[in-house]
Amino acid sequence: MKPFRRKGEELVARLVDAEAGIVGLLLDQLEQLLAADPTDSGGDPVIERLLPPGHASDPEIAADYRDLTEAGLRTGKSDDLAVVRATLPLEGGEVRLDPEQARAWLRTTNDLRLALGTRIGISAESEPPEDPTDEEGSQLAVYYWLTAVQGSLVDALAAGRGGRW
Amino acid sequence: MAGPLAPAWAPETTTREESDLDRPWVTVVWDDPVNLMTYVTFVLQELFGYDEPTATELMLQVHNEGKAIVSSGPRERMEHDTNRLHAYGLWATYQRDA
Repeated sequence: MKPFRRKGEELVARLVDAEAGIVGLLLDQLEQLLAADPTDSGGDPVIERLLPPGHASDPEIAADYRDLTEAGLRTGKSDDLAVVRATLPLEGGEVRLDPEQARAWLRTTNDLRLALGTRIGISAESEPPEDPTDEEGSQLAVYYWLTAVQGSLVDALAAGRGGRW
Repeated sequence: MAGPLAPAWAPETTTREESDLDRPWVTVVWDDPVNLMTYVTFVLQELFGYDEPTATELMLQVHNEGKAIVSSGPRERMEHDTNRLHAYGLWATYQRDA
């Protein structure tokens, strides 16, 4: 992976085919989660994290909030995901984004990290794996790889602040 | 000279309900182990128009103290702010100001 950096009006990174393939698979999983019937996915900690309660202690307010916002949040996440899919070179290659597409990537890579991080139980003490080849190590490696992708995108966008971005 | 008329009477106490209604609502962002510090700062700038030092200070408060109030106002607006933060994956809730 060549991390994101600004190139004129655009944000550009480069992924090798294996990396693009992994992102594609993770997008499939996220898409299925978001499309699942909300009544079937109740209690799934990943969905709980992607669509969290609006109030910390009042279930009535939290329920009102969910009625009001859940459909819109799901749609927004699906729209972002579609942008990432459309701009992802599945065989590997350059990712080239305008500022709007970059924000979709930012939110979707964050959702992927939230989903994966929740599944594998990331905590403040977690560290990149020593052995990235075993089952747990490979998931951690993917998580930290996504972290590097998203981190470079945040830095490139933040560096453009003050200008037209 | 014409001055303001003194009110004929003034209620000595407001009822508890009234003072509850007067209290504003707040949006709180909570610490979580996944969201990057740089990302949280970026999102606070993006959504609320905070300058970088203010956004960084709020992010550090979330990181060090576990949570920070990022906006306050009427309930509907806090609902909306929470919703916008959720769209970016931040862990946010809204509540009546304590």
